Amino acid sequence: MRNLSICAALLSVALCGMLSADEKLSMSDADKAMYAEMVENNPAAMDLAEGEEVFNSLIGQEAYAKVLGVSVKDLPETIAGFPRMLTATPKYDFTFPKTMRKVVTLSQSLQMALADRDKKVFKLKDKEMVNMTAYVKSLANDLKTNIDVKANKQMQEMHALGQSVFEERRGGRGLSCNSCHSADVVGQRLRMQPLPDLGAKETAAAGTWPAYRMTQSAMVTLDQRMQQCMKNALLAEIPLGSKEMVALEVYVTNKTKGNAIQIPGLKR
Amino acid sequence: MRKVIMLGIATFLGAADLSQVIEIPDATAILLKDALPAPKLYAMPEGCITDDLAAIARGKYIFHNLNGKETKEPAPEGLLKVLPNGKEKQYGNCVACHNIEGAKGYGNIGPDLSNYKSLFVDSGARKGEFVYQKIADPRMDNAETHMTVNLANGLFNEREVCDLASYVMSKK
Ligand code: HEC
Ligand code: HEC
Repeated sequence: MRNLSICAALLSVALCGMLSADEKLSMSDADKAMYAEMVENNPAAMDLAEGEEVFNSLIGQEAYAKVLGVSVKDLPETIAGFPRMLTATPKYDFTFPKTMRKVVTLSQSLQMALADRDKKVFKLKDKEMVNMTAYVKSLANDLKTNIDVKANKQMQEMHALGQSVFEERRGGRGLSCNSCHSADVVGQRLRMQPLPDLGAKETAAAGTWPAYRMTQSAMVTLDQRMQQCMKNALLAEIPLGSKEMVALEVYVTNKTKGNAIQIPGLKR
Repeated sequence: MRKVIMLGIATFLGAADLSQVIEIPDATAILLKDALPAPKLYAMPEGCITDDLAAIARGKYIFHNLNGKETKEPAPEGLLKVLPNGKEKQYGNCVACHNIEGAKGYGNIGPDLSNYKSLFVDSGARKGEFVYQKIADPRMDNAETHMTVNLANGLFNEREVCDLASYVMSKK
């Protein structure tokens, strides 16, 4: 698995960003060496292989495509557009009764596919689910994220909700996501940590998660990464899968719409 | 109720409603509990800004540290590391955003507070009331501020805000 191109992009945020901040670096020389090593050999490649195995044995591309209401050929393009509102195929007309149409994440669509196959439905935080999500998303590698927040009323509502969750100050320190990720603070430093522009090409937030996080020694999803920001900044963690978390994913994904998907990412 | 009927129809027609299995926990209560009180104007308590060295030491400690768990040095007298409920005490971590004398690994989201006394206090540009309110609830003076709220949300008590203000305004 080649990860070089994946990390060329990330390097510029996680490393080059810090190198240009000429004062104190937040990565020690040893950490930088480790990062360079991982660029060549992303530890999450193993998680992806596990995800592939679980996905193929429990679901498979054909059954998954059917749940999404698309052909196998169109899977990558469809995957590149999550979170999305699923529209039912004629055969699956009652999969989504009109009144219950929902915007779902890639992981949630996999929960549906598992149920469709009468398999155990993993929890969103389960390792199997994270690995499967990463593998399935990697089927869209090199395509551009193509979320459409104007596609329908539900997507529009979720995007608006995501923006309000992103901007709401709360928690122990009265901070919001915007306190550290609004356009006017991007590139400044929190302690020694340059604040990433979630919308920037180099960050490519939507296209690079699930990613291996060096500081966690594990592969985590975008939603888990956002939970980590909440925890660090003393905001109560919004549970995975909740409407507000899906809305945040919609909002943040849309910020980097058009960036190439490169899974698994590698982050500090 | 409606869901049950829907599911009934769906099963009847031979296709289960898959959206029922998706994990969608309700976050409303969590967010409600986490909400921030409205911006508030405070009156600075009597004797708040002081050159009492113990107060300044506490302010300094709160300014430079994140919380009782992460911090190695012992807390100065009058400041806890662990709260009575067993949780670690949260400090200000003001250096995350501000440079100041002796800051290690400071950020630059907020203005540099070095030489604050000679530049801003002695010149008359800043009074104790301003600094107290800024730390207690910076939203009063700047609705769009990126700074943390420290008193309105109960992160600190009045005395701790005074300790911080005294430290920022002291000669270092
Ligand atoms: C107190 C500051 C702060 C707050 C508040 C904050 N973040 Fe972050 N965030 C950061 C920093 C610093 C990083 C980069 C850290 C690193 O490189 O390890 C980051 C990284 C991220 C990333 C990963 C970017 C990438 O792809 O590399 C995402 C996504 C993110 N934040 C989303 C959020 C969301 C959503 C919220 C609100 C719920 C939030 N953040 C609140 C400071 C913050
Ligand atoms: C997340 C970033 C952040 C943190 C953490 C933070 N500040 Fe600030 N601070 C700011 C910003 C930004 C300003 C600029 C003015 C404004 O918008 O309120 C500021 C302004 C100030 C000022 C006013 C300076 C002047 O005279 O104009 C003081 C005093 C101050 N901060 C003290 C503190 C103290 C004490 C703490 C810790 C309890 C702290 N700050 C934590 C971002 C921060």
